[in-house]
Amino acid sequence: MSKSAKQLKFEEAMERLDAIVEAMESGEIGIEESIAKYEEAMNLAAHCRRILDQAEQRIQKIQLDAAGKPRATPFEPPASEDAGDR
Amino acid sequence: MPERRPFDPSRIRRPAPEPGAPPAGPNILSVRQVNELIRGALARYVPATLHVLGEIGDLSRPASGHLYFSLKDPDSELRCVMWRSSAARLKFEPEVGLEVIASGGIELYTPRGTVQLIVRRLEPRGVGALEIAFRQLKERLEREGLFAASRKRPLPRIPERIAVVTSPSGAAIRDILQTVRRRYPALEILLFPVRVQGEGAAEEIAAAVGALNKHAEALGGIDVAIVGRGGGSLEDLWPFNEEVVARAIAASRIPIVSAVGHEVDVTISDLVADLRAPTPTAAAELVSPSLADLLDWLGTQTTRAARSVTHAVQLARAELEATLAAAALARPLARINERRQLVDELQQRLHDSLTAAFRRGSERLAAAGLTLLRFRTGARFSEARRVVEQRLHRFLQALNAMALSGEHRLATSLAGLERAQPAGQLKRYDEYLRHTPERLAAAVRLAVVPRRRLLDARLQALSACDPRRVLQRGYSITRDARSRQVIRSVQQIRDKLRIITELADGEFHATADDPKQPGLFD
Repeated sequence: MSKSAKQLKFEEAMERLDAIVEAMESGEIGIEESIAKYEEAMNLAAHCRRILDQAEQRIQKIQLDAAGKPRATPFEPPASEDAGDR
Repeated sequence: MPERRPFDPSRIRRPAPEPGAPPAGPNILSVRQVNELIRGALARYVPATLHVLGEIGDLSRPASGHLYFSLKDPDSELRCVMWRSSAARLKFEPEVGLEVIASGGIELYTPRGTVQLIVRRLEPRGVGALEIAFRQLKERLEREGLFAASRKRPLPRIPERIAVVTSPSGAAIRDILQTVRRRYPALEILLFPVRVQGEGAAEEIAAAVGALNKHAEALGGIDVAIVGRGGGSLEDLWPFNEEVVARAIAASRIPIVSAVGHEVDVTISDLVADLRAPTPTAAAELVSPSLADLLDWLGTQTTRAARSVTHAVQLARAELEATLAAAALARPLARINERRQLVDELQQRLHDSLTAAFRRGSERLAAAGLTLLRFRTGARFSEARRVVEQRLHRFLQALNAMALSGEHRLATSLAGLERAQPAGQLKRYDEYLRHTPERLAAAVRLAVVPRRRLLDARLQALSACDPRRVLQRGYSITRDARSRQVIRSVQQIRDKLRIITELADGEFHATADDPKQPGLFD
């Protein structure tokens, strides 16, 4: 594996996993490689699942300070339907 | 605004005396006096604010930012000026031929003596200014290619972090958060709070789009941004039709989804953005993948991978078994066994031919020896016997050496054969062994034939000395019947001695009597 599964973004992991499954299904790879790829596929799948399991929504409000640097603060979404400034 | 003074005829009646002024006389005025007269009349008789309907002509807008044009009727024309401060507030771009209502005051421009309308507000007639402005900006940006499909970038399939540029208290952010929470809670949201309507909103929105691009790296990377707001009047949505917002969106490195108002509202932002969403909720759906779909996909991929590897293992096992069973692998062993058999046969043949040669040699030797034993007639004969034995011994040694070397070569071949894995090498051994029996047989023939010939010659020479030949010439050999000693002298004869006389065709027994001393040829 060129890059550790844990470093991959979901989309990268997804593309890699797709490619591996496709390669495995092509039947053009040998048994040893097939087993190695299976292991990699399982690692990638576990990694993807971990990302998806981080289900807690994270919302931050970004404002620039006087120096023009972004500052993040937690954001509470408006509750009511009728907010004055739509 | 030039100062307005009330009309004062007394000032005209008593012009200030000036050096070089025209000679004073009744009703003669200077140009300035006339202009002053007109200015006074205008100020007195023309209302401070006029609303004039006309068509724009002779339009010019120099670098100063002031706007010069004329308003035209079919047969009438009025010069107009719109100072930069007023012109900057225009929502649309004045165009020649456009029918407008210009509002302002009439003034005299004394350097040229022209009466002109100082326009403070300009409105297109018929359509609203905003519509005109929208149409004009749209046309201009379209000409620049800002809406081209080729500029649109695809959204990432699975974003990690998105930015939302909207009001922190609006319906848009609430809808977006709800949708994302439902579909893909793992998505991180960075809200860039801005005002989305009113004076200055466009600039804030544009600045936020610039900031999210500039600080994306510091914020951990932003995969896509939603810019928008909930529904409202055309005026409310107006900031999203401003050029500054359009430019900021067009310049964004990060893909932008525009989501302004309701489905029917199409803004300039929508046209410039990489993707237009009809509503903020739709925008959230477009950027966030569905968690359920992803889990489905993940399950499918896992199953497919497992099935593939199981299949691959089964396939490999079947292949291995087939290979083990196949002639391809079985044949080398079979060939080796075949060769072994061949070697055995070869050895047998070698042994047989050597044995036969040996037997023939032995037989002849035995026959010769027997004869020699029977006759023992002289040194010549024993010399011949020694030679025969010597020859035979060498012959047997040679045959033995030949057999040994043949066997050695066979054994070497066999060992090589068993070691040989590569097909090519195996084939070479096979080829070699295929011809080995013939070669060995030929070698045996070559070795045996001359030696046999030699042996025959010796035996023939030996037979020339055969005592039986002497007997055929009429001689006989007489032996003591009891001791079988050859009787060489009459001294050996005692009376009544039993003797055996050997002739060429047999022997007979007799009894000796009266031995005579004198010789046979006396």
